[in-house]
Amino acid sequence: MTGIMTGYPSFNSLTGGLDIRKTYLISGNKESGKEDFSYRLAASALGGKLAVVYITTNKSNTELLSEFASRSLNIAQYLGVSMKIVDDYIRNVSPQATDNNYTKVLNGPLDLTGLSVALSAINSDMSKDGKTIINIFDSISSLLLYNNPVTMFRFLQFICGRAKMSGVTTLFLLDEQMHTSSVNETIRSLADSIISLKLEGGKRYFTVSGIAKEVLEWAPLA
Amino acid sequence: MNDPIFGIGKLDDDLDGIPFNKMVLLSASPAVGNEVFGYQIIYNNAIHKNKVLLYLNRTSPQAYLTEMKDYDFKLDSNLVIIDSYSNLTGIKSEETATNKVISNPADKEEIKRRLSEELENGYDLVVFDSLSLLIDSFDFDFAISIVDLVEQKLKNKNSSAVLLFTDWEYGENDINKLAERANAQIEIKGIEKRVIFGQYFAVIKCDWVKEKQFSSVLFKAVKPGGIKIYFPKILITGPTDAGKTSFIHSASKDAVSVDRLGGTIALDHGNLDFEGYKADLFGTPGQERFDPLLKLLGGEAIGVILIIDSTKPDQFPRAIEMLRKTETYGLPIVVVANKANLPNALSLDEIREKLHLGKDAPLFQTVAEDLSRIDQNEPTKLKKEGINQALSALFKELT
Repeated sequence: MTGIMTGYPSFNSLTGGLDIRKTYLISGNKESGKEDFSYRLAASALGGKLAVVYITTNKSNTELLSEFASRSLNIAQYLGVSMKIVDDYIRNVSPQATDNNYTKVLNGPLDLTGLSVALSAINSDMSKDGKTIINIFDSISSLLLYNNPVTMFRFLQFICGRAKMSGVTTLFLLDEQMHTSSVNETIRSLADSIISLKLEGGKRYFTVSGIAKEVLEWAPLA
Repeated sequence: MNDPIFGIGKLDDDLDGIPFNKMVLLSASPAVGNEVFGYQIIYNNAIHKNKVLLYLNRTSPQAYLTEMKDYDFKLDSNLVIIDSYSNLTGIKSEETATNKVISNPADKEEIKRRLSEELENGYDLVVFDSLSLLIDSFDFDFAISIVDLVEQKLKNKNSSAVLLFTDWEYGENDINKLAERANAQIEIKGIEKRVIFGQYFAVIKCDWVKEKQFSSVLFKAVKPGGIKIYFPKILITGPTDAGKTSFIHSASKDAVSVDRLGGTIALDHGNLDFEGYKADLFGTPGQERFDPLLKLLGGEAIGVILIIDSTKPDQFPRAIEMLRKTETYGLPIVVVANKANLPNALSLDEIREKLHLGKDAPLFQTVAEDLSRIDQNEPTKLKKEGINQALSALFKELT
């Protein structure tokens, strides 16, 4: 079975794409391109008839769609069909925001139960439709700002367990510079595979470990 | 002032509300929310003039009330919120008579002091949303100390409490400490394998109801409407042209039929939303040549409505045969005698005798809304009265 194409030819040719049903940690600092990676991956997966649940914890659903549009990634046709957004941010700035046909609005970063319930329901619906599903958490760094690490670890452990059971591929975006090394190590221990990204000399690079075709030396991401 | 209630029919029927001085633990698994139970309990008490205090640390009061409105629970009185969330996230929240703002939600002492002061004002019902978040933010010991504080105030002030709790696989000893303090415990869980197929709640214990067996109940949280007891399969069966399709289309929204020239040839299906219950109605075809379908359609049904034509006693043996073929003997059953206002319609007593029904077996009549508008190729609209009687009787049997 072919992997999930990421939208980056260099990554795809070296790795064969991401394996489905695995949990990936996308790690890098603020300018490393984690979000860009996740947007292009999402657009590529949607084009490949996969379903994407995008959990946003640091921008609203409209801001997220603007990020896709600004990169000329046209995902409008998938919204509400194979792309759902879980907006765990907007009620921080607009408490009366409500759902639309492609967005489930949650109550904020402390309501991890709400996030777990929403994700279970959406994944169940998509799974019943026979879709292969990717969950993208953009990002767990924001959730870690509000929740203590023990709570977050328990939550992520639960999410990873359910994802495995349901055959869902999961991506966690993490800015390791924002957290202590012990928190980072704990989060890393949950992932099957780690994709590290960096910006150097105006170019982006990646490594990936924990998949069949690992790339352990920094390689250009293009 | 009335004793607090759940506002969820099944729980109020089984437990007779929430007596004063009692504490209820609503314990959910992480994939199944309990928040809608909270919305419904708060709303139904507030509209019945019970004073409700909500300790809220899961979200902002504005977001909470917005979410309640989505379920059609709009409140403008009898609710006071202790906002232990907004100042953690920077959301602006003003102190008012009904919105008590914790200035530092990370400060245990302030939480305890403000809660204690507010409880002195006397409330009929205190709701915590959520207790597990209190544990996550601090620790189990602090959460238990808050529960003990509430328990003490309940006794002094004659009120009740509902604690919303999500079991994130905390230690068994800690969970036991919490459970033993609660007078009643209701578990909310999912039926799941790879995905969640359904949700149910079950009363695990209740110290004010003696000698009663509690059963678990499937439910759906519906916007608008809230918690509805859910029956995944009610079978509607009966002979040809008795009125099964008409019953389903009259009772439910968005009913669909697979038919040809007015006769059902595969099945009818309708979503029913009735007096706090939701159900999927499945209608069988009546013609004998489709009998191989009956066993399939009857599988996993949990209740049956048998529709007969009051003017055609010659079809009654066929009605009994259909029950046998659907393999639904032994399930709760309600008989509906349709076309009861047509000439030659048998009386209820005559039908009861010919069908060998006991005197207590539920039997109801249905009639067309307007006899002048009957079209043989379309389902006939039936009057609500008989339909509602039949549904009420069946749901009573099922719960």
